[in-house]
Amino acid sequence: MTMRSEARGVAMLAGWLAAVSVATAQQPMNFVSCPIVRDTASVPCWLAEHEGETYFLTLQTDVSAPVTPPWLGHRVLVEGTVSNEPNICGGKVLKPVRLSVLERDASCNTMLPAEERYNLTFEPPRPPGPSQGRLAFDNAPPAAAPAPIARTTREFVVSYPFDGLVGFNHAGVLGEVLRFARTVNAREIDVVGHRGAVRLSNGQTLVEDATIGKRRAEQVAMLLQGANLKDPNYKVEWRTAAAPATGVDDHLSRRVTITVRPQ
Amino acid sequence: MKQTRWIVGAALSAGLAGSLAWAQTGPRAWWAPGQGTPLADFAAYANEHGQVGVLNTSGTLDTKGHPFFDAIGTNGRACVTCHQPADGMALSVRTVRERWDATGGADPLFAAVDGMNCPHLPPADPRSHSLLLERGLIRVSLPWPPTNADGTRIDPEFTIEVVRDPSGCNLHGTYGLTSANPSISVFRRPRPVANTKYTTHQGFGVGPFIAKSGLPTATDPATGRPVSMNLMADARAATLAVQAADAAKQHLQVKDALTAAQIARIVEFEGQVFVAQVSSTAAGSLVEPGGPPAFGPRQLAAGDAGVLGNNTTRYVFPMDGKWTRLPRTGSEPENARSAARESIARGHDVFMFRTFWIRDSMHLNTVGLGNPTKRTCATCHGMHMTGMDTANGWMDIGTTNLPWATEVPLNPWNEAKPQMPLFRVTCKAEVKPHPFLGRVIYTQDPGRALISGRCHDVGTIVMQQFRGLAARAPYFSNGSAATLRELVDFYDRRYNIGYSEQEKQDLVNFLGAL
Repeated sequence: MTMRSEARGVAMLAGWLAAVSVATAQQPMNFVSCPIVRDTASVPCWLAEHEGETYFLTLQTDVSAPVTPPWLGHRVLVEGTVSNEPNICGGKVLKPVRLSVLERDASCNTMLPAEERYNLTFEPPRPPGPSQGRLAFDNAPPAAAPAPIARTTREFVVSYPFDGLVGFNHAGVLGEVLRFARTVNAREIDVVGHRGAVRLSNGQTLVEDATIGKRRAEQVAMLLQGANLKDPNYKVEWRTAAAPATGVDDHLSRRVTITVRPQ
Repeated sequence: MKQTRWIVGAALSAGLAGSLAWAQTGPRAWWAPGQGTPLADFAAYANEHGQVGVLNTSGTLDTKGHPFFDAIGTNGRACVTCHQPADGMALSVRTVRERWDATGGADPLFAAVDGMNCPHLPPADPRSHSLLLERGLIRVSLPWPPTNADGTRIDPEFTIEVVRDPSGCNLHGTYGLTSANPSISVFRRPRPVANTKYTTHQGFGVGPFIAKSGLPTATDPATGRPVSMNLMADARAATLAVQAADAAKQHLQVKDALTAAQIARIVEFEGQVFVAQVSSTAAGSLVEPGGPPAFGPRQLAAGDAGVLGNNTTRYVFPMDGKWTRLPRTGSEPENARSAARESIARGHDVFMFRTFWIRDSMHLNTVGLGNPTKRTCATCHGMHMTGMDTANGWMDIGTTNLPWATEVPLNPWNEAKPQMPLFRVTCKAEVKPHPFLGRVIYTQDPGRALISGRCHDVGTIVMQQFRGLAARAPYFSNGSAATLRELVDFYDRRYNIGYSEQEKQDLVNFLGAL
């Protein structure tokens, strides 16, 4: 890589990282498709095709990434926004993007070989092998000493992929709830499970399973109690009606809210 | 058996001056329960790849009356029966066979309770002990359905049926699934009782919720603290103390529960024993001054536990370039030794840097890496100094689940019959099917699912540490890889890696040096 392309690569990477969490006012693009993995000389790219267009979803990174790759053998729900950044691995870049692994589909099995023209033009956040001693997205400066926890009612939000329950990326938020509830000697914990829906770009609406709100709420309460948070009174509720879908930020409706009230 | 004392010259030649060692000779230096000889601060024992070293950091241990070494149960066994120093504090199938030959099957190792394919079979008949004799497997009987740590019953997410029952135990009226105490018998290898500061660490990845699933982490009943859940094949014992009490009941058939003092002595001993290969037949000493920091039990004893080593700052197994780059100007034996060291170093690089596509592996591809993910051996085997997972290391790589598990080919020209049980697991309609195996799964051992009752845990096994491997063949929890080469071949087949012959041999040499 030359110095010029290095600089461009760093700029592109910085843009890619920043846009992961910054919404733009650009065109939403929501669809269900088979994911495609394309090898490169470095880490693989994840793509998906929709109505004749190829979209770039994400790179393989590590568990710290805000967007983690989908699974071959399964369909994927893509909720993204088309950006105007240069294509990556031959795909139009969706940023921000959310991916939900859906039902099994053996036909989703496309692995594309590495081709010189699709090699990354920037250094990926994480190589395919060992890291350099840090998580790919753990770039924040060392955290300051935690501020004293105020003994006030606090709400936590647990976000889910479509039709999803608690998974690998929930240990952090559940641990936060646990720490807070223990610190304030929680008196009451309200858990409310929600059911979401997604407006797809083709006009269809995908609605989550009718029981998902109930299952989410009951599971979260069970997990907190299972972690020995048994003293507070639990109020567990759920919404059976799916939130209205607009095609923009529909993922926000797939959630559980946890309200912790101190003694 | 004739027993003599000897000073381990090997320890001295391996650069361990000052480590006088007591050990035993004999066919395989069998350590009998209650024999009362001291366990040296360091001893080295021969194996096919060289010598394994057993380091006792508290110094020479008087084993007289020690609950790890005495037959404290009713069947004549001790903990040491299945955790032999010569086998790296585990049990090799070679040792099992030697004990059979030496005792005609009368050794307590072959006790009916779990040293036999099923207790109802005729004793002293090798066919009744075939799983132990051929694969080094101990019967593990687990209640079905499972219960939580507090004794409450778990409603499993799946039903289980016995498809094949070569041992006769799973369909037996007294021991099986339909007995008064419904139980499932699976067959597993004893794990090494050594390097336990790593298997019980409180470092990277240990928290109140399991990083791979978000479910609550098991806790130490004595302290309430979350544990790494890396101790056993199915993570059913939270701590060494729990494991010791359970093993005494199940395997030693103690009449009364162990006392707190007995458990404390066992746990103390297990915390001070470190095992690793110290010499290589081809490469010479692995622990000479200036050698790789990964090698030998002293480095293990001094190492940092609970550290993620899948990176180029700490490394899983830190090597030293000087050791592997010797000039080829010596004698023929010296040059051959240098070549062997280079092979070990290349094997390390294959382990650490050779990428391949890891696909359809539960609790690996499902934890944010995508399916498939282009990674290396060190991705999963990432714990610094041991190659275990840092936390909650149960995964399904296909060692027990079909279609990948090793099975006898059935055809009219093959007289061999399957040895392992086969179960059909059906995930209930109200739960999501297994993402890679579907709603119906065939397995030789449901693994963690027999404890958690979860469909996604079927066939998941906690990965083992890589230390002292050369001393304790066969490999995998079901003993399905007779040699390190078979182990490497399994991965090559499972993940379509396409290792070259050189890469395979280098990996074997590297693993054999750990």
